[in-house]
Amino acid sequence: MTVTTERRRARWAAARPWFGIAVRLGLAAVWLIAGGAKVDDLAASGRAVNAYQVMPYDLAMVIGAALPFVELALGLLLLLGLATRLAAAVSAALLVVFVAGIASAWARGLAIDCGCFGSGGQLAAGQAPSYLPEILRDLGFLVLAGYLLRWPRTPFSVDGWLAGEPAVEDDDE
Amino acid sequence: MSSRKGQKSANRVVREQIAREKRRKRALWTSVAAVVVLVIAGLIGWSVFRSQRSDTFTAPPGANDAGNGIVLGTGKVTIDLYEDYLCPACRQFQQTSGPTVDQLVNEGKAKVIFHPVAFLNRFSTTEYSTRASAAAGCAAKGGKFKEFTDQLFARQPAEGSAGLSDDELIDIGAGVGLNRDDFGACVRDGTYKPWTERVTDDAGRAGVTSTPTILVDGKPVQDRSPDGIRAAVEAAGK
Repeated sequence: MTVTTERRRARWAAARPWFGIAVRLGLAAVWLIAGGAKVDDLAASGRAVNAYQVMPYDLAMVIGAALPFVELALGLLLLLGLATRLAAAVSAALLVVFVAGIASAWARGLAIDCGCFGSGGQLAAGQAPSYLPEILRDLGFLVLAGYLLRWPRTPFSVDGWLAGEPAVEDDDE
Repeated sequence: MSSRKGQKSANRVVREQIAREKRRKRALWTSVAAVVVLVIAGLIGWSVFRSQRSDTFTAPPGANDAGNGIVLGTGKVTIDLYEDYLCPACRQFQQTSGPTVDQLVNEGKAKVIFHPVAFLNRFSTTEYSTRASAAAGCAAKGGKFKEFTDQLFARQPAEGSAGLSDDELIDIGAGVGLNRDDFGACVRDGTYKPWTERVTDDAGRAGVTSTPTILVDGKPVQDRSPDGIRAAVEAAGK
């Protein structure tokens, strides 16, 4: 009994760094793709924010213009493994806001595309919104961010390089 | 003996403390740097967006007072049409209900304010929505807005394509009787692109989030069929 838990723990300790880097690069890819899809049409990104009808038009346009660049920067930080815990915390905060936004659009009976990966805005008549899959997807990303919050240190990261320590280390940063 | 041992472990405790302090500081500074990076990224987005905007615009002749749409007819009831030249649902609306709208205008019952918005730039590789709308501004300048608009919907390119080229737009304009040189120069110079931006912005400000959006005396019309449009105009005209 104790022997198997011991062995399981050892196996987890060996696998964790590789699992961690997969999570970090996965979340980096999410942000890079999401930001990249929006960055070429900032006005459309602003209109996608405006479609949620939670803020004045001009503010929505500013948020919509800033968001893709923040997403790209988050993706880069995670890709490099720089300030991983902070990047994970900001990721989690953004994802919570996104989930709340989609849920509120759903609750208010709006028919919009979440605009998560480009497009966005009102759906054509007869097109059904897919709020539940969008929320579940964001919750999945939230799990990735949560993992990195708990275990931010992963192999091949700038954080690890700055610390000058081997990748497998305690969780104190 | 034991005091040397104590000395050693005390040293180690101090060293560990220093190391811990160093780690804490480093973590703090990387976090600060990362926050700065994120804030700067957001500011870059904002300034890029600002630099893409034009400050001034000139509405073409035939525009309404607000300068965000072209007025057709003089009827009492106002029909606002928000359409993107690339939007398939708009083409469908024009085909099925366009004749009814024209009839209402001709009967003197309604006037149309057509807002050629550019919502769908990302659905062509050449910002066709903006180019087509700006070209429609040029057509308004030549007094052929309606004819040009009908032709653009009749020859609507597919979403995701390059759209019609400027040359093709100019050919269409010449085909509806616009002066090829004046109209061509206007299209090539993108004279009315700032106007298109204003039209699109004002539509967003007015709460229009999709195309086509049809308002009759300011109220959204859900039933876009010919009967629905006629009923809405007749109800508003009473």
